[in-house]
Amino acid sequence: MRRSERPMLSLPRPLLLAFLLLLLAQVAHHHLDRERYESVYRGLGRPFSATLYRGLAMGSEQLLGYLLAIRLQLHDNQVGRHFRYSLIDYSLLIDWLDQISDTSPGTEYPMLLASRVYTSTGNREQLRQILGFIERRFDDDPQLHWRRLAESSVVAKHKLGDLDLALRLARKLSQQPTSVDLPHWARDLEFLLLAELNELESAIAIVQALLTTEAVNDPDERRFLQGKLSDLQQRLSESRQFPVK
Amino acid sequence: MTKQTIALFRYLMLGIISRRLFVLVAVLLLAAVLGGSFLQELAIINGDAIVSAFIADALRYSMALLALLVVASAVAEDYESSQFERLLTMPLARWQYIAAQFLAITSLCLLLVLPVLLLVSLYSGPAIGFYWAAALWMELLLISLLGLLAILSLEKVPLAVFFTLAIYLLAKLSGLISLMLAESVRLSDGSVASRTMEMIFGAILYVIPDAGSFAESDVFFGGFDLLARLGDQLLSVTVYALFLLAVCLVDFYRKEFSF
Repeated sequence: MRRSERPMLSLPRPLLLAFLLLLLAQVAHHHLDRERYESVYRGLGRPFSATLYRGLAMGSEQLLGYLLAIRLQLHDNQVGRHFRYSLIDYSLLIDWLDQISDTSPGTEYPMLLASRVYTSTGNREQLRQILGFIERRFDDDPQLHWRRLAESSVVAKHKLGDLDLALRLARKLSQQPTSVDLPHWARDLEFLLLAELNELESAIAIVQALLTTEAVNDPDERRFLQGKLSDLQQRLSESRQFPVK
Repeated sequence: MTKQTIALFRYLMLGIISRRLFVLVAVLLLAAVLGGSFLQELAIINGDAIVSAFIADALRYSMALLALLVVASAVAEDYESSQFERLLTMPLARWQYIAAQFLAITSLCLLLVLPVLLLVSLYSGPAIGFYWAAALWMELLLISLLGLLAILSLEKVPLAVFFTLAIYLLAKLSGLISLMLAESVRLSDGSVASRTMEMIFGAILYVIPDAGSFAESDVFFGGFDLLARLGDQLLSVTVYALFLLAVCLVDFYRKEFSF
């Protein structure tokens, strides 16, 4: 049984007035507190050059690289609070990540921070910057960084909604020579994205190329690709018979 | 001769080993493990390697300082209590004192390295544990010999410790110093002052041990030939340790002791 309610305007005027005033006070307090909260945030300083870090490492370059990465990772936690990633200056952040990567080459930590932590930003421009960093540093060691590039492709597609960028990153993965040991799904990412974009002819061409070259030797993977190929061909012929208007 | 040297070595060891030394080592090990555990909580990947390298490096520097302080204070005590004068009234040659000190330093370094071997092996496995223990033993030996030379010459603990640490840091930062020298040459106006400075630093870098004389913590992150690294370090440390012993002997023989 629903109890009937009296209309708001029938409430005593002082109570209504007090409610409105307190609501305004709450909003104003929240606004001011937010400004104060953001003013407490201390931005990133400029990093030293990797050459200097390597000199200062006293023979422990790898360890120093990791310690710098952990220090950077903790930057968004200050005075017991977690700050939004959008507050971070991503140009400086990328400078830090570059210097750490150069201080201890062969470490995956900066790329991991970039792809798992700093892609959490809600700012699209910052997201583009960090994906640009991952794309650029991937070439340092494709074998070490392929996971990060695959993650970036997914982030570009789903979070940024930039299918061209997602496709470019996926293509970079699929074009790696066979000497780079990648799982099949990573090489297949490009045609899967193309299929999703309804670029069926391009997707079919890539799958056919994969099947005719030596790139795929695993029988299960060949079976998967053949299944995908017939699926794509069927979708293509259906789209030709019943074109979408 | 050998018996006398061994007896002197045993006497020196008795002076060095104390309950306080073991307590200090235990505290240092505990602090390193606690610091490492904190880092492990923060690391997203490679936590084990980061923690092992951190513990190993933290123990390297703390044990180096401990070894240096023990050696310097033991010799300083000999100066203060006129022990040298007493020793020289006995049928002992001066080189025997240096030989006994060398044996005592070798044993002290071994004592300090044993718990590190156990701890690092626990974190990183026996292969890396043995590498680190052997490499650290050589590094501690080098620093302690440098400390011995410093205290024999300067006779005061603070001076000897600062001098040794300065040389140690110069050696560890030799890469950075070389880089700064190269940069300064590029930027300098070619004046006499800048060329003189360049020559002085260049000469210092020739005299101090280079980075190859020290344990390398990069091995914790894999992909290194541990035996080859140890071989290189052994060669470098042997040459430098012999040089230091020779300088100690020269300095000690030149000293006048009043009876």
